[in-house]
Amino acid sequence: MLIQDYLERSAHLEPTKDALIHRGRRRTYRELHLASQALARWIASRMPEPAFRAAILTDEPFDYVAAYFGILSAGGVVVALNTQTSERTLTGILGDCRVSIVLTDAKFSKHFPTLLALQPSVEAMAVRDLSRVSDATDDRCFDYQTVLESDAVDDSVALPRLAPSAVAQIIYTSGTTGAPKGVMLSHGNLVANTDSIVKYLRLTRDDRVMAVLPFFYSYGNSLLLTHIAVGGSLVVNQQFVYPNVILDEMVAEGATGFSGVPSTFAILLNRSAIRDYSLPDLRYLTQAGGPMSPTLAKALKELLPAVEVYIMYGQTEASARLSYLEPELLERKSGSIGKAIPGVTLELRGENGGAVPAGEVGEIVARGGNIMLGYWEQPEATAEVLRHGGLWTGDLARQDAEGYFFIVGRRSDMIKSGAHRIAPKVIEDAIVEHPAVDEVAVVGVPEEFLGEALRAYVVIKPGRSCHPRELKAHCRRLLPAYEVPHHFDFLPALPKTTSGKVLRGELRTKSTVEVRT
Amino acid sequence: MDIVKIIRAYIFDNFLLDGDEGDLTNDDSFLDNGVVDSTGMLELVTWIQGTFEIELTDAELIPDNLDSVHKVAAFVAGKTSPSAGT
Repeated sequence: MLIQDYLERSAHLEPTKDALIHRGRRRTYRELHLASQALARWIASRMPEPAFRAAILTDEPFDYVAAYFGILSAGGVVVALNTQTSERTLTGILGDCRVSIVLTDAKFSKHFPTLLALQPSVEAMAVRDLSRVSDATDDRCFDYQTVLESDAVDDSVALPRLAPSAVAQIIYTSGTTGAPKGVMLSHGNLVANTDSIVKYLRLTRDDRVMAVLPFFYSYGNSLLLTHIAVGGSLVVNQQFVYPNVILDEMVAEGATGFSGVPSTFAILLNRSAIRDYSLPDLRYLTQAGGPMSPTLAKALKELLPAVEVYIMYGQTEASARLSYLEPELLERKSGSIGKAIPGVTLELRGENGGAVPAGEVGEIVARGGNIMLGYWEQPEATAEVLRHGGLWTGDLARQDAEGYFFIVGRRSDMIKSGAHRIAPKVIEDAIVEHPAVDEVAVVGVPEEFLGEALRAYVVIKPGRSCHPRELKAHCRRLLPAYEVPHHFDFLPALPKTTSGKVLRGELRTKSTVEVRT
Repeated sequence: MDIVKIIRAYIFDNFLLDGDEGDLTNDDSFLDNGVVDSTGMLELVTWIQGTFEIELTDAELIPDNLDSVHKVAAFVAGKTSPSAGT
């Protein structure tokens, strides 16, 4: 089974069904499949040897999805780019993996000089609305629509059939520290993960997900693959700038599912009119992409009592899903990431690599068909995380007596303050229980006597106010003295990566007006 | 107080850092032109509330009120006019 088989199968079974809905425009499975095959033949005619890398740079969902499956059908490796990329990132990523084909749009023409100057050089670029690019004289550029139409009936170009172990996609991690690394995922990795997620979310052809997450990261990628796999529909609006517009679309399109990262739900709960909406078709929510505070999870469930809330955990290196918490356990196992998804095993290991005693903190080590092949051309970085047949996730956790995992924090985020090793999440979960607090991140900052002092960066809910002394008193009620932050700073928003993860490194070096309490 | 001018200056100073005046008209959509993302919108709303001393309800966080310089200006003017709230 290869990834493109999902689209082929669904196009065969549901040819006239809407696969994608975006800004009122609908594309059926048949249209999507035909477009992907036309692109595949155009690509394959230029790239007779498989395993070439092909980049996608577009914010048009239909073009993105057709390109994604087209590249795979042609035997290539998808490198999907963040549409907010910079020249430096573009040069870094595309130079690193040496792309041969680019599928893009005229609105990204400011990047074309960079793309066309890459060495080794790009073989060909298919550009939507090429006529809008003022100096498109390079003969490697082709108009996208012409490509779709000219090759639509040409069956003479043979499409290769690769092994499931072949690399299908390289996803560059957004990285909260250091330079991004290219995570290599095989067809087998993504198929294993897709099938497992479909199983535990009980996805069917009747599911219509409101897709606000970008497809170029692993969480959005899994939304795409799972819904294409079951012949469901994706209602796409990836500009989460006006949440009320998203809610309107969910109602209009009868969305049965919604997936977000913690900030998505913080915005929905605190900066949208969700309380004024009835969402009768909504069956489930999923949350991944970083730890969400139990307070936020509880508020979500109270707001939508009939909706199943799935707390999930994973990382790009695992395609990305590793665990989920059954919705009925949301309250009883508050704060847990649940247990391993079908087909995956998770265990805790100590620093010496051995098993940890029950109830003790260890690093999560994962095994399963979804674990990446490695980092593109970085054998040393790969060897640091792929050891003894497992993926060392870098996440610290403990397991309760029933085997449910509770994340303590990233190994790299732990704060050493005085004699104590402190997980920021424990403090953050406490602070966010204060009714005025929207979001918070706690980092360690160098301090002469403690080694590191605790600094909390707090975002207050709109219309609320709070004095640092109140927060300090609040923490003293909930936490041991050594976990009470020494400093509180207020920010309008936390700095985050494009995938929504808090940039703790930036906070550690941030220079703000210190609010001493 | 020239509200349009103040809003335009804020947008350029905070979101279009290397932009020229011609990069954005007062009627250009922030959304369609990628001027602000979801985090940027939160910052814009916080700034509007603090600068013009008005409160925005959750239901008012919609493109009609916020998605261009002119729309923000009209919204602010409506909120700060003598008849606002009556």
